[in-house]
Amino acid sequence: MADIPLSVRGLDKHFGGLAAVQNVDLDLRPGVTTALVGPNGAGKTTVFNLITGNIPADAGDVLLDGASVRGLQPYQIARRGVARSFQDLRLFGRMSVRDNVLAALEPAPWLWQPGGGGARRARAKAVETALERTGLTAQADARAMDLAYAERKFLSLARILATGARIWLLDEPASGLDPNSRARFVALVRQAVSEGVTICLIEHNLDIVTELADRIAFLDRGAKLAEGEPQEILGDPQLISIYFGEPR
Amino acid sequence: MIAYLTNLATLATIFGILAASLNLLIGYAGIFSIAHAVFFGLGAYAGAQLAMLLVPDLLLACLAGGLVAGALSLCLALPALRVRGEYFVAASLGLQMMAVTVFSEAHAFTGGHGGLVGIPLASLLGFDISAPPTFLVVCLVVLALVLVVIRVLMRGSFGRSLMAIRDSESAAEAFGKNVARLKTLAVVLGCAMAGVAGVLFAFYMAFVNVESFTLEQSILVMAMVIIGGTATLIGPLVGVLLLLLLPAGLSFLPFIPPTEIGSVQQLIYGLAMALLMIFRPAGLAGRSAGQR
Repeated sequence: MADIPLSVRGLDKHFGGLAAVQNVDLDLRPGVTTALVGPNGAGKTTVFNLITGNIPADAGDVLLDGASVRGLQPYQIARRGVARSFQDLRLFGRMSVRDNVLAALEPAPWLWQPGGGGARRARAKAVETALERTGLTAQADARAMDLAYAERKFLSLARILATGARIWLLDEPASGLDPNSRARFVALVRQAVSEGVTICLIEHNLDIVTELADRIAFLDRGAKLAEGEPQEILGDPQLISIYFGEPR
Repeated sequence: MIAYLTNLATLATIFGILAASLNLLIGYAGIFSIAHAVFFGLGAYAGAQLAMLLVPDLLLACLAGGLVAGALSLCLALPALRVRGEYFVAASLGLQMMAVTVFSEAHAFTGGHGGLVGIPLASLLGFDISAPPTFLVVCLVVLALVLVVIRVLMRGSFGRSLMAIRDSESAAEAFGKNVARLKTLAVVLGCAMAGVAGVLFAFYMAFVNVESFTLEQSILVMAMVIIGGTATLIGPLVGVLLLLLLPAGLSFLPFIPPTEIGSVQQLIYGLAMALLMIFRPAGLAGRSAGQR
């Protein structure tokens, strides 16, 4: 278990009478990209919210390196190396691009960060590297709210990249991107995976899923229906009909 | 005329400190408090009591006023951690209403409705600073110090963390920010600065009572910050100048009868707020979207 960075066991969440997530198991392995796939309302984002502590689970557990993180606050889970993006991006809109990334690297809740000048220079370098890798260097001083859509998407990735987090949870990171930006996104994710980052992504674009995912977990109505290699899952006509909302 | 202008400048400086301290909460941390006059009042009462009972030293009084206001601001911080947005506005309104009642009834500390009369003249390390021009200079120095502290903090990691929380609390948490602790720190700092402004006010007026710390005062300070421009250093000062100088300016207009100045002033405030929110929501000194 300890060689699996993130493991989900029997996760359950109900909102009133609605079973949003039902008994979901999931293992995210190092250097492996897992895609959560399923129709709208399948519970994919809820799984992310349960992993990151944004909402408490009714039952089940989330293990980081084999240790339970149940009951921890989102910021405590983030500090254990789990970074996430949001469907609606949630950038720090009135801050500059550079400050968006820098803010993601400063978790100490005091008037200043520990570590002195050396740590400050290391953070500044991490910011510049992240901006360079996401192609945002020229926009570093622009406000996040003034960026074009694709640039905003890449800024949400730059924030994650700079943190050096070892587990990335990406919620529809490529939706709405033009083909050129999509290709840049795919290259960025592949590079991160080659550096040992564990990635779990929610994506509706099956081309992106095919390009990036090593494994797919298929969710529907809160339950995990199947998990396996992309060709196995995407080749299953029953799952595909569920995905496209065909009557069952 | 010089005495009149000195008086206006001193009040504007004290309100500048107060507005800058509220800007820390509203502009940088996104905490919309309409109870700021409470902490202004706590500082004023604490400073006045210290001056009347022990020694009228401004430095000691500022320390006492800042400490009392900062410590009691935890009453505001606690709901701030649990609710956000419009719910927090309602919670701070409740605190403001309770505080006015307490200020009116706690005779031993506040003098009740009659207030505290006969606050001794201010001194600083044994030197008399009560002459209006001297006191104005002292107030300007305190304002400069407050602005420097705010600027240094807001350009550093603390400011970035607050602004991140303001823009997206959930994203800030997702990047490891302890939102509760950071918000508490912001509230304590902002309210302590309001307490210092209160001390200066008490010494300057030589009299304080609950009428200076009501909901209307909280709303006036909030209007100063919003009209001037939130999350900018200069914005609250612009707001203070505009809203304090407006009544003074109106009194010079011969076609407005003195008895109507209050009503005209309210109309202008209301119209200015509405127009600003439509045409310049970031305030007079704020940056609008797309403006680099």
